[in-house]
Amino acid sequence: MPLNMGRDLLHRYRGNPILTLNDMPFRCNTVFNGTPVKAEGEYLMLLRVEGQQGYSFFALARSRDGRRFAVDPSPCMLPAATGPWLQWEEHGIEDPRLTVLEGRAYVLYTAVGPYGHRIALADTEDYRHYRRLGMISGPGNKDGVLFPEKVNGLYARLDRPIGKGVGSVWVSYSPDLIHWGRSAFVFGPRARYWDSYRVGASAPPILTEHGWLEIYHGVKMTSAGPIYRIGAVMLDRDDPARVLGRCLPPLLSPREEYERVGDVGNVVFACGAIVEDDGEVKVYYGAADTAICVATAPLDDVIASCYRAEPAVDAAALAAATA
Amino acid sequence: MSATLVRDVIERSKGNPLIALRDLPFRCADIWNAGVVRLGREVLLLLTVETLEGHYHIYRAFGTDGETFTVDAEPFMTPDEEAPGREYEGWGIRDPRITPMEGGYYITYVADGEHGLRPGLARTDDFRSVQRIAYVSQVDVKNAALFPRKIDGRYALLSRYDATGHVWLSFSDDLVFWNDARVVMTPRGGFWDPSMIGAASPPIEIEEGWLLVYYGEKSTSAGPLVRLGAAVLDRDDPSRVLARSNIPILSPRERYERIGDVPNVVFSCGVLVEGDQLHVYYGASDSCICLGTAPLAEVLRICFEGERGFEPCH
Repeated sequence: MPLNMGRDLLHRYRGNPILTLNDMPFRCNTVFNGTPVKAEGEYLMLLRVEGQQGYSFFALARSRDGRRFAVDPSPCMLPAATGPWLQWEEHGIEDPRLTVLEGRAYVLYTAVGPYGHRIALADTEDYRHYRRLGMISGPGNKDGVLFPEKVNGLYARLDRPIGKGVGSVWVSYSPDLIHWGRSAFVFGPRARYWDSYRVGASAPPILTEHGWLEIYHGVKMTSAGPIYRIGAVMLDRDDPARVLGRCLPPLLSPREEYERVGDVGNVVFACGAIVEDDGEVKVYYGAADTAICVATAPLDDVIASCYRAEPAVDAAALAAATA
Repeated sequence: MSATLVRDVIERSKGNPLIALRDLPFRCADIWNAGVVRLGREVLLLLTVETLEGHYHIYRAFGTDGETFTVDAEPFMTPDEEAPGREYEGWGIRDPRITPMEGGYYITYVADGEHGLRPGLARTDDFRSVQRIAYVSQVDVKNAALFPRKIDGRYALLSRYDATGHVWLSFSDDLVFWNDARVVMTPRGGFWDPSMIGAASPPIEIEEGWLLVYYGEKSTSAGPLVRLGAAVLDRDDPSRVLARSNIPILSPRERYERIGDVPNVVFSCGVLVEGDQLHVYYGASDSCICLGTAPLAEVLRICFEGERGFEPCH
């Protein structure tokens, strides 16, 4: 029996990848970075699809068990082709994140245009039709996730502006979801760690009894390009700029062939997670920008990962071992 | 005809530099840029002073003739030592721009901290005490310039996102929460402002719309060349550029503009329109404060009609 002790905290579903090009009802280049919701017993996932033209758009997939998804026959949201949104979305819409807030479903996504990346907000009643509400960040910003409830009476989001060339996670607040301010730094890359180059929010924050659990992505740069991994951090419930705990090792690293090989290899990138009634977390992630996968772990284990201390090195044992 | 036609649109004050290290009643590293406001018979400058440690503080300087100034011995604003300010401006505050509005004076400044540069907004009623209001964006944003009145019922702000090097416009109901960011002006390839641009002075309302004195950077192998230009924005929709100078109105040429900690820089944080004259207070090579003046009509002519820079003078 394999030891398997070196494996990740998140357990991959055996049927991974759960969505690939082969599951698509229309021609496209890739499908990846899907954001899930569970509504009335049905799992819905808004997918990022990259068309063969090279820009991305969204399609909707549906499932009864959260593992086998069927994709709707046509895309549900395309980049704006006319009007005031055109200049912001001309190069595509990417990486959607769905949040249900006050009974309404919102999606934050990255709008890409000639002026760079911005975070955009839309809402939906049926997950098929989306109404654009506004661009809610300046340029050079992405990975926006909306908190599922107000924090101290204000709407809140995490995002990833670039400062001094470093991508860090910030929190911003809004009275109306349209005007945003009071931005504050939350956490940044950690030298020497797996997330030393860049970090960004991945799943919309999950409220736990400890605070806001944020499943994020961390990037390490190598001579062959970046490695994207998945981590977890616990933020204070009333002041999410306060980090209460942060995982030391990642929860998931690219290891399987479908995570290593694809348009952008060595990438696992989550855009959402679902906490089941039995305490299991399903993390949905894009693999190598080419497929969608799911991996699971008990919520308690993910929370514990935020607080686990780095194993102490026994100096005497190390000396003995290397003597 | 006189050879002065080949000179810049803006004429330099004979008293330049108006404020240099020798004029300060304390020791410091250098003098950067200054915002300006007229208070009755006095002209007030808010100077950026680089301390010997390398931080930035803001000092007041008063004068009555617009050319000779007395600099305070103590700073007017220092970096906020309380949370959250200390995290975002612990390294310094600089480039103050003064916008008179609603009976008080708003100051936008660049907060420099461990995470990068972001614009801060503060208000003073008397230039003795000052209250911070908010940081008006995230990081890698500077050159925030507040319009001196609401437009269509909302406060309006210009700022420059490093991500694009463009001037953007955003709106707010309360000066704290902002949105509707849109692009106003972009750098122009092939011109003197091809690399980066940003608002210099807060916009000034004139008959034609909003006068914006801005700066443009051109990258060279020896570093950037920073010059001043002008544009006119639509009164009701300032994201519409009605006119933009095809040539700079001021370029670094004098020794005090060529030689300094950051050479080849003329950079303004404030202008005054008085009568038919435009007075531009500018920092030169991040080392001293200078003044240049031009007839407003000539600046507007350059904006609307342009100058054929290669035409011979005769």
